[in-house]
Amino acid sequence: MRVTQNTIANMVRDNIQTIQQRSELLQQEASTGLKVSAPGDDPVSAQQILDMKALMASGDQYQRNISNGTSWLSMAESAMSGMGDAITRVKELSLEMSTGTTDPSAYPAAVTELQQLKSQLISLGNTQINGRYIFGGFKNDTPPFDSAGTFNGTDDNVNIEIGQGEFLPINYSGGKILRGGTPPGSTGTDVIGTIDNIITALNGNNPAGVKAELTNLDKSLDQVLSYRTDLGARLNRLTGASSIIDDTKLSLTKVVSDKQDIDFAQVLSDLTKQQTAYQAALAASAKVSQISLLDYLK
Amino acid sequence: MGTLSIFNIGTSALNAQRLALDVTSENITNVNTPGYSRQTAILETAPTTLERGFPLGSGVDVAQVQRAYDSFLQQQITSQNSTSGDSSTLLNSMTRVQQLFNDLTTNGLSNSLQSFFASWQDLTNNPQGQPERQAVLADAQQLVDDFHRINGALNDVKSSANQSLTGLTSDINDDLKQIASLNQQIKDITIQSGSPNELLDKRDQVVKDLAGKVGITYVTQNDGTLSVSLSLGQPLVLGNQAATLSLQADASNSGYYKVMSTPPGGSTAVDITSIVGGPNNTQGEMGGTLQVRDTLVNGFLSKLDELAATMANQVNSFHSTGYGVNGSTGLNFFTPPATVTGYSGQGGIALNITSTDDIAASDTDPTTATGGTGNNRNAQNIASVGDQVYAMSIGSTTLSGFYDSLVGQVGVSVQSAQRSSDQSSAIQKQLDNLRESNAGVSLDEELANLIKYQQAYEGAAKLITTGTQMMDTVLGMVQ
Repeated sequence: MRVTQNTIANMVRDNIQTIQQRSELLQQEASTGLKVSAPGDDPVSAQQILDMKALMASGDQYQRNISNGTSWLSMAESAMSGMGDAITRVKELSLEMSTGTTDPSAYPAAVTELQQLKSQLISLGNTQINGRYIFGGFKNDTPPFDSAGTFNGTDDNVNIEIGQGEFLPINYSGGKILRGGTPPGSTGTDVIGTIDNIITALNGNNPAGVKAELTNLDKSLDQVLSYRTDLGARLNRLTGASSIIDDTKLSLTKVVSDKQDIDFAQVLSDLTKQQTAYQAALAASAKVSQISLLDYLK
Repeated sequence: MGTLSIFNIGTSALNAQRLALDVTSENITNVNTPGYSRQTAILETAPTTLERGFPLGSGVDVAQVQRAYDSFLQQQITSQNSTSGDSSTLLNSMTRVQQLFNDLTTNGLSNSLQSFFASWQDLTNNPQGQPERQAVLADAQQLVDDFHRINGALNDVKSSANQSLTGLTSDINDDLKQIASLNQQIKDITIQSGSPNELLDKRDQVVKDLAGKVGITYVTQNDGTLSVSLSLGQPLVLGNQAATLSLQADASNSGYYKVMSTPPGGSTAVDITSIVGGPNNTQGEMGGTLQVRDTLVNGFLSKLDELAATMANQVNSFHSTGYGVNGSTGLNFFTPPATVTGYSGQGGIALNITSTDDIAASDTDPTTATGGTGNNRNAQNIASVGDQVYAMSIGSTTLSGFYDSLVGQVGVSVQSAQRSSDQSSAIQKQLDNLRESNAGVSLDEELANLIKYQQAYEGAAKLITTGTQMMDTVLGMVQ
């Protein structure tokens, strides 16, 4: 092949250009820390990265839902615990009053306490979080129980999404817990009705009537307890879902990083190599283009 | 013959060597002229005469001044220039398009889409909350803005491709006129004398330049003229007549230009839009420009429209059956798409509701006895539109999966434009090297020739001197 001055000049120019282009690419990678920073860099990886980032983002949203659900359920848990305590106290009082040996003069005091316990149950049934009544179903911006204990809420489940297509109710119907369904007693034990009956019996000096309600009180305790058990199970599910999301996110983060982040050591050493190559190319071309026949013609 | 013949031979040598020196100096001065082909003076012996029964040469003749030229290589360079013009145009436009889908480094449409559905998720946690409702509207507006932004920018790419046709067409017309007038000059000179090397080089250069803009084929005629036509047939230059390209707004293609050509010597312009870019618009800047304007960007736009329309339809289908806090129902969340085409742009997708109270988070009327504002079922339905798989043009996919694949598609286009541009510039370098090797001027070579011819010239001058001395001797005898 015939070689001319221009062949050499073009070659020098092209080589230096190539080295500069590579250096520029490496510089860009080093400064952004990303090997895929535009879709054209690697279309398949770009698409996968976006998919995984979307998965992580939806995981973050599920975590928000879960933390919201956890606070609702924790609130319900403490309310139910309070209900259990109140019913236990009702039972103690009722046992005491139903023996027949208690002096009827103690009844009015018992009635007063029972009424307080009833309103305590009602106010527990009206527990709020961020202004929402957690036992009210879908009607959760007005108190679900009025002062007489009538349930005005709904029995609907407020569901949240804790994983794709995975829904969990984060509320309990106050009507079911404290009134045994709507109308009262239709699906379970009417706790407030039972207390009302005891109060009526005591007001009528009828300890036998009190005694007759004792089994209902036991059932009431069981009813609240069984909701608490269910609630515990739901909390567990939330914790489980949350840790799965964390695990998934961790592994996704790792994969995304593998796909998108550069190996700094590699890039920096490549950059150094390009610099050396650049110097070598410049030095070589300076040598080559120095000499010509002109130097020897006098 | 006699003593005088030495003068004749010497003179022919002086002339021939001087001409060779002229050619050498022409080569040296044009060492850096683009498209210049090195020339060589081809010397041959002058016709022999009989000198006392012996055949004897009568000096030296310059047979021709030849240029180093490889027509096959020139063909390759020309057609490679077409590929290169096409791919560099594609690469430029695709790089612009790529910047719109910048989701990898900043927040783009993909992020807006996620935020939009995330805000519906937040609404399921607190269906009555004003801040949550505000967030739904704000994120929806952001999403709409993002659709408009990308759609607008894609249309900008199309219209700037369309605009660039104006400059391109007038450049092509210039080239065609130049080729036609060079044809005339070359024909004239060829008839009179030998080969007009510089003009031929110049014409090759213009043809190469033209091929960068539009795919062509060409044939050299016997009279030295070059006939140029589009690679798909329409004639561009015949002899000294050139075609004229012009642009006309095409009502059937959104008012974008169609390319018209008035053939050489003709008077009626014909529509050459479908052939001017070569097969599938793959040749020359013209091909690249038309491909960007009529095919590539439209592919992205139709995907974007499909995404916007599918999302709007799905969200609307739930939203219109749900109820706002004030009991409003039957409302679309987005303006419903009348046609899918163009839906992602201005005048297409927009928010249909403005009041936060109208956001239908509930699937029953909250104002009735059985309903309640805590009802989040419809918000849940709408939030899950983000996760659902829908049958779309690329198969069954989620909305964000569809967008991600659009990003992938853009990436593939950029990558293939990048590759073919790299490839064609590598081939071009190779061909340029070959051409340089064949036709380029080597200064060392020319300097050596310079000495060679200079010495030959000196030798010839010596002949004349010797002849003069001989003449003097003969004349002295007479005295």
